[in-house]
Amino acid sequence: MNLVRSELLKIRTTSTWWIFGLISLPLWILALLFNWLQTDALAGGTLEDVPAEQADQIQAVQSADSLAANIYTNGQFFGLLIVMLLGIIVVTSEFFHQTVTTTFLTAPHRTAVMMAKLVAGAVIAMLFWLVTTALNLVFGALILNSVDVGAQFGSGAVWRAVGLNALAYLLWSVLGVGIGVLIRSQIGATVTGILLYLGGSIGAIAVLALLASKYGEWINKLQVAVPSLASSLMVSGAEIPGNPPRWVGAAVLIGYAVLAGVIGALTLRRRDIS
Amino acid sequence: MSDGQRSPTTDSGQIVVSGLTKQYKNVRAVDNLSFTVASGRVTGFLGPNGAGKTTTLRMLLNLVTPSGGGATIGGQRYVDLADPLRHVGAVLEASSAHKGRTGINHLRVICAAAGLPKQRADEALALVGLTPAAKRKFKGYSLGMKQRLGIAAAMLGDPRVLILDEPANGLDPEGIRWMRGFLKGLAHEGRTVLVSSHLLSEMQLLADDVVIIAAGKLIRQGPVEQVLGSMAQGGQVRVRTPQADELVAALRAQSATVETGEHGVLLVGGLDAPAIGKVALAAKVELHELTPERPDLERVFLELTAGKAGIR
Ligand SMILES: Nc1ncnc2c1ncn2[C@@H]1O[C@H](COP(=O)(O)OP(=O)(O)OP(=O)(O)O)[C@@H](O)[C@H]1O
Ligand SMILES: [Mg+2]
Repeated sequence: MNLVRSELLKIRTTSTWWIFGLISLPLWILALLFNWLQTDALAGGTLEDVPAEQADQIQAVQSADSLAANIYTNGQFFGLLIVMLLGIIVVTSEFFHQTVTTTFLTAPHRTAVMMAKLVAGAVIAMLFWLVTTALNLVFGALILNSVDVGAQFGSGAVWRAVGLNALAYLLWSVLGVGIGVLIRSQIGATVTGILLYLGGSIGAIAVLALLASKYGEWINKLQVAVPSLASSLMVSGAEIPGNPPRWVGAAVLIGYAVLAGVIGALTLRRRDIS
Repeated sequence: MSDGQRSPTTDSGQIVVSGLTKQYKNVRAVDNLSFTVASGRVTGFLGPNGAGKTTTLRMLLNLVTPSGGGATIGGQRYVDLADPLRHVGAVLEASSAHKGRTGINHLRVICAAAGLPKQRADEALALVGLTPAAKRKFKGYSLGMKQRLGIAAAMLGDPRVLILDEPANGLDPEGIRWMRGFLKGLAHEGRTVLVSSHLLSEMQLLADDVVIIAAGKLIRQGPVEQVLGSMAQGGQVRVRTPQADELVAALRAQSATVETGEHGVLLVGGLDAPAIGKVALAAKVELHELTPERPDLERVFLELTAGKAGIR
């Protein structure tokens, strides 16, 4: 508990958190504008000339539940990235500024330190989620009302999406801490994290599509094994026909987070600090 | 050792290093090293560059895993201490604080982790005279201020044992004098003070005991006086006289050894200063100087580590 307090104090006493907060704000506004336009288009049914086989997918996306879920999880794309980067920095800044010596002198049980960092990262992630969600609920309701869909606050699917969004924030912060332990270099870890989050999905889709054309359609189902794709599956507003169920995405992401945490803790325990 | 009443089990400040070994890929940084450090004394930990001092201290503090052997503080391994900061304070690197964090916040972070009250941070800062710079960011600190902040961090838990790696680095003469008084004071209060250093003249002023290592192995351990006394070059006396030839003849008659140094100084061995004075008086020789040569740590150190120094 003391260690968690100390980790949170570490974050509070440097400029990192508010710099990330400041970066997040314009990104959130941008996302909101984008989602506003999209909601407007979908609710108005202006996307007409779509091939027949995609029609029921579109229909699923167009449902009121789906539109509301989408707008109430607005800002997620960059939010998850920011939270992961914060998780990375919680660890790598200790090596960058050589404070890890002091940290381990104060708390020689390294697994406890790792746990404290995971919890601190999670707390920050939850704060980011809380603020974003509060803003989303206010502005999202305004947008939904403006396109005559209604706020949908009574819908269970909406709150499920909001809850899964929280889980996504949590898991990406854990992944961030894990990456930070495995790659001590601040720049190296940050670049790897961003690649994993952004490039990883595009690259993986390309590779899987290539493999699928060779070995058959089933390989495309492996998409869910890619962290960023699992994450986006998990938080998609409603079950979309043709995709694996959302819990699979959640399970995969939880698996990665646990793996990152355990490998990180084991690595930290063995490492010589010299 | 000096304190008969304290048995080893009740001396919570004693450091015992036994058979400590660290093998890196190509270097045996520390090689089967054993020594003890007593409480109530300042112990200087000396060795040429790359001798393995830092590695030894880091193994003692559970930062580096030994390849063999072990070390205890007050009978316990560092990792087993319930409240490590209340037992042991360590100053390892000058630059180990977040550059964007203020000095006081650096200490508060440590207090929070160690479960120490927040005001210990202010007290420790005052102890090292850094209060005026409390709210300045670490990157704006001078080398000496960084070193003082490190000492403040080590003192947060009011520890019985202090371990410092090259604490005099970057301190000005005033700072070094302050540090000397500070560490001696701590040892005087009964604490254990283990200091690694290169500054041998400073160590001669500061240390009660020394542990000298080279190439990862123990060379000599003991009280400073004893280590100095063990060397051959001890016991010579510097003598200056306008009647050198007569004195040399008289001294040689007493089977003393005489060497001629710079500017006509005579270095006399085999007789102590009073005896030389007597010989001179008997020979009616006028003396201008009669000084027993005190062997210094630097010369002893260089002699002891000769051929074992050098970067590995
Ligand atoms: N992490 C490491 N990996 C490989 N070799 C290392 C490592 N740390 C230290 N060494 C080697 O171990 C030996 C002892 O180093 P150490 O830093 O303990 O010496 P030292 O006595 O503190 O030297 P100095 O007086 O220069 O500070 C050196 O040869 C060094 O190159
Ligand atoms: Mg060193």
